[in-house]
Amino acid sequence: MSSLILPGPRRGARERLAQLHWPLIILLTMIAGVGVITLYSVAEGNWRPWSMRHGLRYLVALSVLIAIGMVSIRHWMALSYPIYFAALLALAATPFIGEINMGARRWIEFSGMQFQPSEAMKIGLVMALARYYHGLRAEQVSHILYLIPPALMIGAPVGLVFIQPDLGTALLLAATGIIVVFVAGLSWRIGMIGAAGAVAVGYSAYRFEFLKTYQIERILTFLNPDRDPLGQGYHLLQSKIALGSGGLDGKGFMNGTQSQLKFLPEMQTDFIFTIFGEEFGFVGAVGLLILYLAVILTGLSIAMSAKSHFARLAVIGVVATFSLYVLINTGMVMGLAPVVGVPLPLVSYGGTVMLTIMAGFGLVMSAHVHRDQDVLRSSDLL
Amino acid sequence: MPVINTHDPERQEIVSRRTVLFGGGVSLLFVGIAGRLYQLQVADYEKYQDLAQDNQFNRRVLTPLRGEIIDRFGNSLASNRKNFRILLIPEQSRDVNGTLDKLSKYIPVTDEKRARIIREIRRRGAFTPVEIKNNLSWPDFSRVNFELPHLAGVLPDVGETRDYPLGEASAFVIGYVGAVTDKDLSTQEGDDDRTLLRQPGFKVGRDGLERTYEKELRGHAGKMNVKINAHGRVIEELSDEATPPVQGKTLTLTIDAELQQKATKELEGESAAAVVMDTVTGDILVLASTPAFNPNDFNVGIDAGLWKELTNSPYKPLLNKPLSGIYPPGSTFKVVSAIAAQASGVKPSQTAHCSGKVWYGNRFFHCWKRGGHGTLDMKGALKHSCDVYFYEIAKKLEVDILAGVARKFGLGQTYELGVPGQKKGIIPDRAWKQQYFAGQPENQPWFQGETLSVIIGQGYVTSTPLQLCVMAARVASGRAVRPRLVRAVGDLVLPEPTAPMIDVDQDYLKVVRDGMNAVTNEYGTAARSRLEDPNWQLAGKTGTSQVYRITAEDRAKGLAKPEDLPWERRDHALFVCYMPYENPRYACSVVIEHGIGGARAAGPKAREIMRAVAAKNPAARTPIDPRNLVQRATHRREG
Repeated sequence: MSSLILPGPRRGARERLAQLHWPLIILLTMIAGVGVITLYSVAEGNWRPWSMRHGLRYLVALSVLIAIGMVSIRHWMALSYPIYFAALLALAATPFIGEINMGARRWIEFSGMQFQPSEAMKIGLVMALARYYHGLRAEQVSHILYLIPPALMIGAPVGLVFIQPDLGTALLLAATGIIVVFVAGLSWRIGMIGAAGAVAVGYSAYRFEFLKTYQIERILTFLNPDRDPLGQGYHLLQSKIALGSGGLDGKGFMNGTQSQLKFLPEMQTDFIFTIFGEEFGFVGAVGLLILYLAVILTGLSIAMSAKSHFARLAVIGVVATFSLYVLINTGMVMGLAPVVGVPLPLVSYGGTVMLTIMAGFGLVMSAHVHRDQDVLRSSDLL
Repeated sequence: MPVINTHDPERQEIVSRRTVLFGGGVSLLFVGIAGRLYQLQVADYEKYQDLAQDNQFNRRVLTPLRGEIIDRFGNSLASNRKNFRILLIPEQSRDVNGTLDKLSKYIPVTDEKRARIIREIRRRGAFTPVEIKNNLSWPDFSRVNFELPHLAGVLPDVGETRDYPLGEASAFVIGYVGAVTDKDLSTQEGDDDRTLLRQPGFKVGRDGLERTYEKELRGHAGKMNVKINAHGRVIEELSDEATPPVQGKTLTLTIDAELQQKATKELEGESAAAVVMDTVTGDILVLASTPAFNPNDFNVGIDAGLWKELTNSPYKPLLNKPLSGIYPPGSTFKVVSAIAAQASGVKPSQTAHCSGKVWYGNRFFHCWKRGGHGTLDMKGALKHSCDVYFYEIAKKLEVDILAGVARKFGLGQTYELGVPGQKKGIIPDRAWKQQYFAGQPENQPWFQGETLSVIIGQGYVTSTPLQLCVMAARVASGRAVRPRLVRAVGDLVLPEPTAPMIDVDQDYLKVVRDGMNAVTNEYGTAARSRLEDPNWQLAGKTGTSQVYRITAEDRAKGLAKPEDLPWERRDHALFVCYMPYENPRYACSVVIEHGIGGARAAGPKAREIMRAVAAKNPAARTPIDPRNLVQRATHRREG
């Protein structure tokens, strides 16, 4: 391995710890802290069942982040394809050995631990694409032949997740992949053609009933929430009422009447932003959005300052996933996006997603700590 | 593959540019999200604030108890009883079908019922509770209550339903209540009342006094604000903002429930009507009609088969016979005729010879007694109900005078009783005929021959049993007594009316009373209907009104006797009477449809009814004072 590494400063663990991007860690911790207090409020002033575990999980996930960040970005690049293919294999196996949960087969029981291959794929896909473009020259990026491998890389997991069925994650994976391909330098012309194609696919999916009834219902409800105030649109309407009644400065911590009276479903997961917005108002909600944006922009600045192509694209992919989570979730609870069951990163209760996000930021951290390391462009590193 | 230096400025530059582009795009989207937040939380704050209030606070309507209806002594005629019901608030159920599925484990929900419920939800809107089932048994009701945490939107409710203890016996007086129709809702004025009408299972008066006094009986809705959670569970009652419901007013009637039941029992098996009234106050004590429907069947929504049976029966169980049944009064009309005769100059001592028939115009007029009565004066004519005596008078009697006397004695008019559907009947005179035969000028003039029919209560003349009772009461008292059915509305006791004297020579009445006394007590036509008690001497007049004239052809076929005719062609039997003969207090009329003869069918029934009246003598007892009624504690109920 050492022959592949270009000469550069080599540092010890302590030095690298000091090299960690502490502002990023603080931002992430603040966001997780919002999660802890909001979950405390959702449980009507109890650490159980969610708040305490959320905090503990964050600490575990944070140590995972730091651990990943300490490992050289070269090693992660080397592991890109293995991780991707392992995740793909697990995804393909899920329909046969997975647990059915809420009508979908998404989980794999793995030595007593539940494991969701689609979550691992979020990181795996980003890494694999970054790894792929690391090996391409600028003029190759928009060459049609060189587009086939990334199309397959994205298409395979998206397809597998879609049939689970988990439309939300499938779209998230596809969108993340497309963003990476776009940032890698895809020509606008091909981008436009692709967009037109996506619209056509979306239309035919609707036309020819590829989607499950509940998925169509959700989309139709999203388009017109007043259509059925007691059905799917009910949640959205209640969410808007809770948020709107929060007003400028909110009803105060633990005083969110709409949420305390359980008008909202899945308060601890998908609709947690609503709770926060009701209790802390416009000021609080915008504050949380600013924290998220700060994380995103910090991530992008890390990407810009990284030397290796792999690091840049991988970081952008992670940041893209994170951004999509935030935008879709907040958009969803305010009626700007369909209710697809996407959590609010680090605030919604749920260990797997938190681990995915933090592992992703571990990669970002690694890119930061090892920003000066360049890696040879080679496709046969393994 | 060769190792290539990764320094590729062109590639670097594209990625940097695109990263900035991506960052910019994401930032813009964040601004968009913030803008949306601004719209929801700042711009539209008030709108959502209101909606949140609506979410949290629910204004419950507290349904008032319907006013009770009691008889003159305070016995219940219509009251309310507990009704265990299961309601569903569609808004809070979210999945109505799912909830019904779960509910069907405990109480049966047929597909038909489900369709009806869904229809009702559509009609009333998602915010109004709909009734899933009523009249539940306590075990079923408590089982649903136990499972309540799993049944979103289901609301158990202890409602009230109307109870008519007398059943059939009071059907036509009280009427019944029924479900609210769209028409009720659209014609109802006042938001509060409209809200009340929308309450599940709310009933409004559909017939009888229940209908007429709907406004008084309904009461006023109370209100209560409650704080609810998303499942519709009340978590706090904000009692300081609550107003309790006000029960409807109690309606106190003049009816004597006990006598009403006895009279109804007496008429059982016949298609008949009986009215008993106080000749002084006009209080109606009995207003019986048989056969009758059971108003308790109507409360819960009548079954189609029973309805069909009721409408198709030849005994007309849906017809309120005392008030809406019109019958030729037959010989009972002679009471009026005798007065009219005297008013136009006939002396009571004037006699006439009855040979069984008399020729007038172009035909014979027959007496009911084929062989004739011989020579009779007016009293005798009444006593034996001789038709020929009255034919002789009718030859010279002006029909307008006869009609005028008939009206003075209460015929041909309706009374303010509060029971809808009262009929006027016909008291023919010249003006009436002109109007009746408008367009047939040849029939418009009055022919004297027609007076011969009218004077014995046949021909055009028709009346209701109530009018006949009023006639008897007026003859007995000499006063223009007006019948009444309602003694008090709530606390307000209606003043006992003092009836003015009728402006006819009171001596004329003496002859009639004398004649009526002879009918029962001096071996007249209703000797069998005599009351033995010397304190309660009954004076009466029989009547038999022809429904079908037995023709020569019929006689040739051997159809001589009325019993040979099919039921619906037999004569109606009538009887009017009052008692005691001296110092009268009660008047009674009985009509037995197709009962053949007044003396044999109607008289004995009237006698038994009057016997019961005499035994109880309700006019001598102190009626209940509605001001002393203790209203039942106002019942609070969620709806």
